[in-house]
Order: sequence, then C-alpha cells, then structure tokens
Amino acid sequence: MTTTAADSGPAEPAASAPLISVRNLTVSYHVARTGATLTAVEGVDLEVHEGEFVTVLGPSGCGKTTVMNVIAGLVKPTSGEVLVDGRPVTGPGPDRAVVFQDYALLPWRTVFDNVKFGLEMQKHLKGDGWRDRVQEAIELVGLRGFESSYPKELSGGMQQRVGLARAIVAEPRILLMDEPLGAVDALTREVMRDEIEKLIAATGKTVLFITHSIEEAILLGDRIVVFKSHPGAIKEVIETGLARPRSERSVQSDPRFLELRDHLWDALQAEATQAAVAGGS
Amino acid sequence: MTATVSIEALNAPAPRRPRAGLSRWTWLLLGVIAAILLIWEAAVSWLHLVPEAFLPPPTAVFAAFLQLLVDPEFWQAFAFSMQNLLIGLVLAVVVGVTVGLAVGWSPVLRFTVAPFLWLLYSTPKVALAPLFILVLGLGNESKIALVFLLAVFPIILNTMEGAVTVHASLVSAGRVYGVNGVALGWKVILPATLPYSLAGIQRGAALGFTGEVLGEFLGGTGGLGHMLEFAAYQFQMDEAIAMVIVMVIIANLTLALIAVLRKRLAPWYDDRQIMGRT
Ligand SMILES: Nc1ncnc2c1ncn2[C@@H]1O[C@H](COP(=O)(O)OP(=O)(O)OP(=O)(O)O)[C@@H](O)[C@H]1O
Ligand SMILES: [Mg+2]
Repeated sequence: MTTTAADSGPAEPAASAPLISVRNLTVSYHVARTGATLTAVEGVDLEVHEGEFVTVLGPSGCGKTTVMNVIAGLVKPTSGEVLVDGRPVTGPGPDRAVVFQDYALLPWRTVFDNVKFGLEMQKHLKGDGWRDRVQEAIELVGLRGFESSYPKELSGGMQQRVGLARAIVAEPRILLMDEPLGAVDALTREVMRDEIEKLIAATGKTVLFITHSIEEAILLGDRIVVFKSHPGAIKEVIETGLARPRSERSVQSDPRFLELRDHLWDALQAEATQAAVAGGS
Repeated sequence: MTATVSIEALNAPAPRRPRAGLSRWTWLLLGVIAAILLIWEAAVSWLHLVPEAFLPPPTAVFAAFLQLLVDPEFWQAFAFSMQNLLIGLVLAVVVGVTVGLAVGWSPVLRFTVAPFLWLLYSTPKVALAPLFILVLGLGNESKIALVFLLAVFPIILNTMEGAVTVHASLVSAGRVYGVNGVALGWKVILPATLPYSLAGIQRGAALGFTGEVLGEFLGGTGGLGHMLEFAAYQFQMDEAIAMVIVMVIIANLTLALIAVLRKRLAPWYDDRQIMGRT
C-alpha cells in the first residue's frame, strides 16, 4: 500500500499519518416521512493511527453508528470528509470490515456460510484454503459445533459472535465494531473481550469499537472517545495509558482504571441527565 | 484455547418446540366429516327429505367419483386444465417476481407504479372473464390469460412487500463485504424475498385455478370446468358433485405442493412470521 507514493501525488501521507482521519464531519439525515432534516453528528474530528484500538462511548442516539458508517463507506458525509490511508472514502472496501450492532446475518445461510460471506467476493481465494480460514474464525469466537446451524437457532450473543467471525475472517486492516458484545452474557463477554484483545495484539489491526460499557471501553481502548448528543459530537478524547496485556483482575485494582472509570461515569451521567432534560422539554 | 472450551460450555442448544396436538385435531376433523356424510346419506336415501335427482347421496357421489377415475374423457379434461394452469402460473411467477422485485427495490417505481398494482389487485378481475373469452376465443389462450391475470397480482404484491422489507442492514452487510449490483440481487435481495414470493405463489395458484375453471365454465371446449358444466346441464348431479370434489382435491394438492416447496427452498423461514401478511 505504501509503495504507490509516486502516482498518488504530494499528498501521500508519511508513515506517522493517521490511518483513519475524520475531518469536520457533519451528517444530516433526511427523514422522508416528515420531510424534516435531522442532524445526527456535527463537526466531528478524529484521527486513528495504524494499530490503535479506539473505543467509543456515548449516550444512545448520539451518532456513534453514524460516524462508523461513514468510515465504512455506507453513509455519505453531508459535509466534511473521511480519509482512510490518506484517500477519501467513496464506498466500502476490503480494507474495512464491520461488526453490525444488529448482527446483519443472512437468515438463509448457516453459520459457516455466513462467515464465508466475509470472504466470498475476494476473488483471489481460489483453492480450498478459505475453508480453513472460515473454520478458524468460527472456532475463535467459540462456535465450533454450530457450523450448520441457522441464525434463528442461535441466541443473540451467538449471532453476534457469527458477525464477529465474519468480520475477522476477511483479515481487514481496519475493524469497525458496533457494540459487538452488546448481546453477550457477562461471562462470555469477559472471555470474548480477552479473545478480541489477544487477536488484535497478535495481528496489529486498527480497531474502532463502540460500546455502552465504561469498563469495556477502558479495558480495551488505547484511547476512549466520548460522544455527547444534541447535536451529536465528540465531547472528549482520553488516553487510557494502561499497560498491556490487561487482565480484567489486575486492571480493576489499578488506580488509573478507577480514576478513568469515575471520570467517564460522571461525563456520561451528565450527558444522560442533559439528554433527559432536552427530551422532556 | 482454554477460552474456546469455556465458551462452548455456555452454548445451550436452542430448544425445539414440541409438535403435539396435531393428530387430535385431525381426528376431530375426520369425525365431523363422517358425521356430515352420515346425516347427508340419511336425509336423502333413508328419509327421502330431498329428491335424489337434486342431491344424490354420498354413496352415489362416491360411485360417480370412481367412475370418473376410469373415464378417459375425465383424464383428457384433467390434462387440459392442468396444462393451462401450469402455463399461466409459470408466466405469472416469472412476470410477478420480476415486477415485484423491480417495484419493491426502486423507490421511483414504488411511488408511481405500486398504487396502480394495488388498484388492479382489488379490482374484481373475474368480471373481465367474458371479455377475455370474447377477445381470445374459446381455446386455451383465454384460459391461460385468466390464470395469469388472477395469479400474477398476489405474486407481484407479495414479492414487492418482501423486497421492501429486506432489512437495510443486510444490504449494508452485502456492500461492506463487496457484494454489489447483480450479486447483491442474487445473494441478498432474492433470497430475502423468496419466502414472500412463495407465499404469493401459493395464493396465486389457488386464484389461478379458479380462473381456469371459470374460463372453462363460461365458454370452453374442454377441461374440468367444461365437464362440470356439461354434467350439471345434463342433470347428472352425482357426477357434478364428484367433479367439484375432484377440484377441491386438486386445489388442495397444489397448495400442499407449494407448501412443501416453501419448506424446501426456505427452511430458515419461520412460517408464523408471514402468516398474518398473506
Ligand atoms: N437512516 C436514518 N435515517 C434517519 N435518521 C437516522 C438514520 N440513522 C440514524 N438516524 C438518527 O441519527 C441519530 C444518530 O443515530 P445513530 O444510530 O448514529 O446513534 P448511536 O449513537 O449509534 O445510538 P445507539 O447507541 O442507540 O446505537 C439518531 O437520532 C437517529 O434517529
Ligand atoms: Mg448505534
């Protein structure tokens, strides 16, 4: 990717340039039913560097999914721009995979075939090698034995893990994860969190990870982006500064963890209260 | 990989719903049918409440039914009707699914064409039957056209609804993983719509059969409807009633066949989700 500097002009980023850069992004939705325009996010600036794990926290409806969709190439910016690897995003690409908040599994496909969907359009996959990759991804998310189940036969948490397997099987450079552990029970969640952390550490992927859990945001993130609503925008960005690997037990007694948790708790509490007041008036 | 093992332990298999109660209702239904037949037989053969010429008893109808099964004329009529029904239905499926997908998928068509489709759907097309026979003649063409006309609208409208309700996030998932254009239609839109189309086809088949019989009735040179009309004209009520029973059987077999097809082609689909819609 970095060898094409000659033909992409003087704007080619240096090695330290961010992999994802969101510049003054505003997204408004046109609501056909009412004819009104709804501004989901306004003036968002964000830079994510290669290999970084960025977690995103914020009240419901503040535009987290919207920003992620613009990076994924699924939603066009109303104004501002998003660059990935120095190039403006014009649509989805194999360098980015998404774990969807609502799973978005194909109900007519088995678990195996759903995971395979992540690879299907990659034409270079001729031989039989892809089978092993699909199987590997399924085992990584702990779904061995469920290869031939249909999504409707799985619990919400299991479906979510199928979505995770589908995203990682494609081995994208960037993983965009929208509450990938939202429907997983506490125990599985902890295990999955460790697995995700190990996976990311091993492959050096760049991750944007939306969550509603403050603990999760701290445990996984190099940086935490806190959103606010009305209008949706970034409220603050915090470096976690915790050493890796972080095991849940050791981190939870770390004073830095406790400090972060209290801070984030207050920040979100204030947001939630404001949102409730704004919603009520 | 100890982590993987511990997750697997957490995966409880999804419970299956028991299928109890089915046979009990079947028995009850059979009992009711037997009772009706018995009362019918008693009223006509033993009590002579109704003249046999108007309403032959079940035993006579059954005899006529058996006679039909060995009558080559009946099988000729059967082939005539089934051939028209099949041709009309295949045309209706091809046109219905194509139009339904196009209208469901394109917002422009949805706002311009769809209202007319609903209008036509709710028009009593049966009233057009004499016109069809006048224009297309007494032969196969008018029957095929009637089957098509009656069957195509439920197929279009169901497919359309299916295409409209394809979850936006499935399309997003397709796009994220590089599935675009024709592949998107083939891999996402069509399979997502299939259960709806099949429900529409089931309904269309039932209506199409009505169209076929009606066409033969109004002006035909062959087919089951024609044979029924002829029997009634000659006052052979036992044969006429047997014909009606044959038609009921054909209609139900067609529906059952498509139901099997739905199970086969869309095993992932939960029937209960779609029942209220069709
Ligand atoms: N396709 C759309 N059309 C119209 N409005 C939309 C659309 N998608 C999102 N919105 C609106 O944009 C705002 C932000 O939505 P978004 O889904 O980005 O929030 P979120 O932060 O991901 O929320 P949550 O945490 O509940 O998932 C909301 O007010 C929502 O109603
Ligand atoms: Mg969201």
